[in-house]
Amino acid sequence: MLGQWFKKVFSQQKQQSQDIEKSKKEQNAQSINPSLPHTLLLLKDQFGQSPDFTVRTLSGQPADPSGLAVCYFEGLIDQKLLTSLFEGLIHGGSDNTQSKTNPNQIASRLLESLPSGHIQIIRTEDQLLTEILSGSAVIIMNNCPFSLAVMISGGARRSVEEPSSQTVVRGPKEGFTEDVTTNIALVRRKIRSPKLKFETHNIGQLTHTTVVIAYIQDVANPDVVQELTQRLQSIDTDSILESGYIEEFIQDSPLSPFPMMIDTERPDTVAGGLLDGQVAVLVDGTPFALIAPVTFFNFFQTPEDYYQRYDISTFLRCLRLVAFLVSLLLPSLYIALTTFQQEMIPTTLLISLTAQREGTPFPALVETLLMEITFEVIREAGIRMPRVIGPAISIVGALVIGQAAVEAGLVSGAIVIVVSFTAISNFVIPYFSMSSAIRLLRFALMFLAGFLGIFGILAGLIPLLAHLLSLKSFGVDYLMPYGPFFKSNMKDLVIRAPWWAMKTRPNVKSGGNRIRQAPHQYPKGTSNRLDNMKEPEQ
Amino acid sequence: MGKHTLRVSELVICLSLFEIGSTTLFFMGSEAKQDAWLAMLIGALAGLILLILHLSIYRQEPNLDLFQLFRRYTGKYMGSLLNFMFVGYFAYETSRNVRDLGEVTLLTLLTRTPLWIVSLIAILVVANTVRYGYKVFFLICVILFPGMVVGYAIISILFPATGLLHLEFFLPILENGWMPVFKAAIPEIVSFPFGQVVLFLVFYPHARRAKNLPKAVITVYLLTALALTFLNQLIVLVMGHKLASFSTLPLLQSVQLIRLTEVFERTDALFILLFFLGLGIKMAAFFTGAVIGLERITGVSFKTWVFPMGAVIYGVSFLSPNYTHHIIVGRDITLNTSSPFFQIVLPLVLFIIMKIKRAPDNTA
Repeated sequence: MLGQWFKKVFSQQKQQSQDIEKSKKEQNAQSINPSLPHTLLLLKDQFGQSPDFTVRTLSGQPADPSGLAVCYFEGLIDQKLLTSLFEGLIHGGSDNTQSKTNPNQIASRLLESLPSGHIQIIRTEDQLLTEILSGSAVIIMNNCPFSLAVMISGGARRSVEEPSSQTVVRGPKEGFTEDVTTNIALVRRKIRSPKLKFETHNIGQLTHTTVVIAYIQDVANPDVVQELTQRLQSIDTDSILESGYIEEFIQDSPLSPFPMMIDTERPDTVAGGLLDGQVAVLVDGTPFALIAPVTFFNFFQTPEDYYQRYDISTFLRCLRLVAFLVSLLLPSLYIALTTFQQEMIPTTLLISLTAQREGTPFPALVETLLMEITFEVIREAGIRMPRVIGPAISIVGALVIGQAAVEAGLVSGAIVIVVSFTAISNFVIPYFSMSSAIRLLRFALMFLAGFLGIFGILAGLIPLLAHLLSLKSFGVDYLMPYGPFFKSNMKDLVIRAPWWAMKTRPNVKSGGNRIRQAPHQYPKGTSNRLDNMKEPEQ
Repeated sequence: MGKHTLRVSELVICLSLFEIGSTTLFFMGSEAKQDAWLAMLIGALAGLILLILHLSIYRQEPNLDLFQLFRRYTGKYMGSLLNFMFVGYFAYETSRNVRDLGEVTLLTLLTRTPLWIVSLIAILVVANTVRYGYKVFFLICVILFPGMVVGYAIISILFPATGLLHLEFFLPILENGWMPVFKAAIPEIVSFPFGQVVLFLVFYPHARRAKNLPKAVITVYLLTALALTFLNQLIVLVMGHKLASFSTLPLLQSVQLIRLTEVFERTDALFILLFFLGLGIKMAAFFTGAVIGLERITGVSFKTWVFPMGAVIYGVSFLSPNYTHHIIVGRDITLNTSSPFFQIVLPLVLFIIMKIKRAPDNTA
């Protein structure tokens, strides 16, 4: 019912978006006026009095038959490249006086001589504006029906740094930046194959954000690529500022609390995903790339699992799943046991719990909710506050709220342990989107446990399971290797098999070419050469 | 609904859990006293004959489910009438399980909560599962299966480990001859739980084409029957048949006796969850069968029927004024009258009609 209501609301907006598209089509497609002064006037008119918009005229006046102007935005271009562009222009322009009058010849000579790898001929006014706005220097010639756009974009950018939200002990330390070309390079440096494909889309009528789909041909499922492309193309909005916008527009089951795509700022995660047959979406302006299709268990795997020994990785994966269960269930189990099923608690523990709760005024549900909400507030404050005040928050959080609340008789001591262990467990889950989903569900389960005890928890978990089983991410079942069961996927799930034992890619459904490597690579050495090594003489 | 989307493994796992369902709540074959295990085995063998009957119906028309079969072979009106009766039977079985679950909850976990709240939550959870379609339901069974197996295995290990088993309760075997054993087995144990597999005539056609389907179904059926017999006899060996036949929830009462160190004392609350899962699976299976039946009769998608059907089931679950009445109706009346009609008579009639109608085809 909720879904239908959403659909109704959204379909009303569809009409509006069609109107926007119509007006958009009427606007462009006007070709450039050959007169240079006219074009310059148009640009000044369009960009207003922006202080960063620069027009540099060469060869005398713009109205001269050989008039030539270079237009660009100061902050969007690379100063060094601009200097060399001007050097090229001045050398090329003053070369031959005969052909000065013919703009076509000037243009072809410039195309040959300019020191840049990326020159484009543009013919419409709309293109002209877009190119200038995306960091090109545009060379406009008088009496010429087209202009040349030289891509020299640059300017202030963050360099490649260690990712701040997804860290590893062992493994590459580089993270994506806000610049999509850098990000593409980071991925391409890991997979040096012509089969690695990038497809560019331009989304957002105002922001014109570059959105890139990355996949490996023959490894990724072509249907998934096609579906993703189609969904991207059907986005009709004026702005895309972060990959989160894209995610909400293209994900399956938009009303589910569970994330249907992985977001990562690690190039090695993207490369690993691509090699598993997944498809990645890189968005300009954010270091977070999206990966699809994903399964539930992908959210409990980190790239580090593959760099460490397989046994310790397996242990860590089990630990993460336990942490997931704790984070989801511990507060509600505490409520259920202390309120309804006290007999399940061992007697001595029960006595000490009851003694603690003796002086506290609230029922267990209220107590737990109080502490959980307090913790969520502290957690949010930890992210938003200015870094300088950090220590103050930890003192307030740990001492005042933790210890003092117990001493003041507001809550019992056990609940502080429960809430803090739940919180710590929540941080174990590698992907923030998944841990946020669990945070929400935890509150729902706490209410159920508060009213109906263990019965309530079960009544909450079964619909959750049914919901998870009904989810699909780009055609791949969300709980894939368990429900439906795929034996071959079990090698890289909770257990991370050693590399030499993983002959095939893990995702049965996502890839076409499933063979990853040759079989029988158990490292047993090639000969007994080393056995015959001589003992060093004393 | 898509055809052939169920794997055989999913189907048989669900069949196994369906058979376990609510059976472990009760002490089966109490008339046979300490020979309850023999009664169970006889019941299981008789049920096996029924199962083979169902499977041979499926073999003749592997593309049609129970409702389509009746429609085709008994005509439009008669078929619709019989289908309605089957829908009613499935819905009634669901409502019985709703009441069972509600009463068990009131007896054990939530002693002061009103019955209507517990039943309402149970039917909402089950209806929500049914709403996703049979595929999701079968997958839930697959995911819960390891948990159920481990749970019952732990019970089976803990009884001997904590010295609660009294093997002398086996004796004397066949104290009063075979008659009480047969009387206990037929028709009660055949009707519940073994004969209820008639429901799966609705699901067989959705399974992927596989030659081993009948074989897999029979194997899993036999294994489940053995496990049920074992669990049932555990009750006798722990409590003795006299106490067991008086107890409302004998297996649960036995589990309460388990004391392991200081930590695992009253673990029965955890094992109640096993009963709940079993009951829930049985409910969801019958509920799914009922709404698929309504879809076949009316041509309206089953999703539309989930809510009204749920409301009817919820209402019917309150028919009995108290649990004792509910148990007497369930264990004494329906098992001897309506259940054999739906589980034995109708499938047998169907099979015979199919044989007669198809005979000319074979010769021609």
